[in-house]
Parts: sequence; structure tokens; C-alpha cells
Amino acid sequence: MEIKTGEYNVWNEGSIIHYEGTLRLSGTDAYQPILELMQQVLAEKPQNVVLDLTQLEFLNSSGINLLAKFTIELRKHPDMPVKVVGSSKIPWQSKSLPNLQKLHKGVELVIV
Amino acid sequence: MKTFGDTARINGSGAFAMRITISDGPLGVSWQHASETCEFLGDVFALHHAKQGADYNEARHSIVYLVNELLENAIKFRVPGTISVDCSLHQGNFELTVSNDTEAEVASRFQALIEEITSRDPGELLIERIEANAADENSSGSGLGLLTLMNDYGARLGWDFRSSATGGAVMLSTHAALTLN
Repeated sequence: MEIKTGEYNVWNEGSIIHYEGTLRLSGTDAYQPILELMQQVLAEKPQNVVLDLTQLEFLNSSGINLLAKFTIELRKHPDMPVKVVGSSKIPWQSKSLPNLQKLHKGVELVIV
Repeated sequence: MKTFGDTARINGSGAFAMRITISDGPLGVSWQHASETCEFLGDVFALHHAKQGADYNEARHSIVYLVNELLENAIKFRVPGTISVDCSLHQGNFELTVSNDTEAEVASRFQALIEEITSRDPGELLIERIEANAADENSSGSGLGLLTLMNDYGARLGWDFRSSATGGAVMLSTHAALTLN
């Protein structure tokens, strides 16, 4: 599955979901196709889920809310390991990704 | 005039400053104006800040994020008219004011939201509102952007509302200040 626009790309390889580019869509409705891609990965009952954000240069607050919503859905699968990978070169990730761990203790956050 | 939060301005006439006016013209004001304006201001102000030996990447990102969030709100909730964006930087203190007209009813709902999000610790409120938002499919997540700015970026925010020159609208100015490293 993939959503590619040039400005941003989101795709999955098995249970690894990759995000790339600049995401500043206008709100919950605009983010719905991306949320659906993430939910489809979850629907295949993977053994683990990885969110790879290391190429996502910018994410507005509506997008951060999308990650938060999905993290809350992941709590319904308490035994499934969840890894969120960010980059130290992209400042928003060190600032905002720790909030995901506050929502779900099972999230392993790795900033590379 | 009604004032909320921290509207104090420190930067004076010695600051590096710029005003951008986004006018309604034949092409109209669109979502794209938020990203173009914030990228431009991020470049200009971070370059200026980096001349003092500061971290360009970190400063640029914080400025872009802040300007984008406030402009997204202005574009979403404005009535047709001009949006003005005033920025200044002095010794690492970045100040921003975004002004636009909005409907009186929208302004009054926004005032209630401001009272709520400035009443307690922004970190706790951010998590609470994310939880409430996830539980309600119809929720738009309003306030999350402002709470993210306060909690994750340490932004100091303030608002003032005054009668607009253009009829029944209210002129809203959102003030923000950030300490850049």
C-alpha cells in the first residue's frame, strides 16, 4: 500500500510504515487516507508495528494528532511490540514523539 | 478589548523585524499560503540567528512550526480580509503576531477554548485532549496545535480581541514568543 504525492509519501513494507517529506494537511478528514493505510497494516494482525519517521521533515499538529490517535488504537493490542523511529536531525521528532509514550507505555521510541 | 495569556512584547526597535501581509486578491488566500510564508520566514530569521553562531536547523524548524500553526488557524477561522504576520528577533527572542478578522461567534467560542487551555499544565492538558479527541470521532482536535506549541516548544502565547473596522467582525491578534537556542 502506498500514498505518494511528491510532497509526501507514506507506504508500508509488511508491518513497517514509512513516512517521507512534508505533511501539513488541513485536518482530520484530509489525514483519513493515511490513517486508513495504517489501520490496514494493523488489520493484518502483524507480530509488531514499526513507524519509520526518519524521513518525515515536517508534520503539523493535525498530523501529530493522527499519530496519537493510531497510538491509542495500538493500546488495544497490549502484547504487540510497537517501535517508533525518529531522527535527531529533525527537531519536531525529539520534541513531540515522547508524547506517544505517554499515551501507550508499550511504545519503544528510538531517535537515531 | 479582551486580552488572554501572555501578550507582553520585549523586542524593540533594535530587533531584526519583518511584516508580511497576505491579502485577499484575485487568487484568494489558500492553505498553501501558510506553508510558503512559514518556509520563507523560517529561512530569513534562522539565517539571521545563525550569524550569532546558533543552530540554524533547530531555529528554522521552531520558527516554521510556530508560524505554520498560527497561520493555519488564521486561514481556517478568518473572514475574508487581510492576514498580517509580524515577526521580530533580538538576542534569541523570536516574537510573532498574526492578526486577522473572524466572526464574533467564532471569536467567542475561541475565547472559551483559550480559557480552558491556559488554565492548567499544558502537558497534562495535551494528553487529556488527545485522549478525548480519539474517543470522539467527530472531534476536530481543536486546541491541540496551541497546546503542542506551549508544551513541546515552550512557546509563550497570548491573544487579544478587538472590534474590527469591518462591520460585525472581531479582529483577533495571536501573539507568540519563543526562545531560540
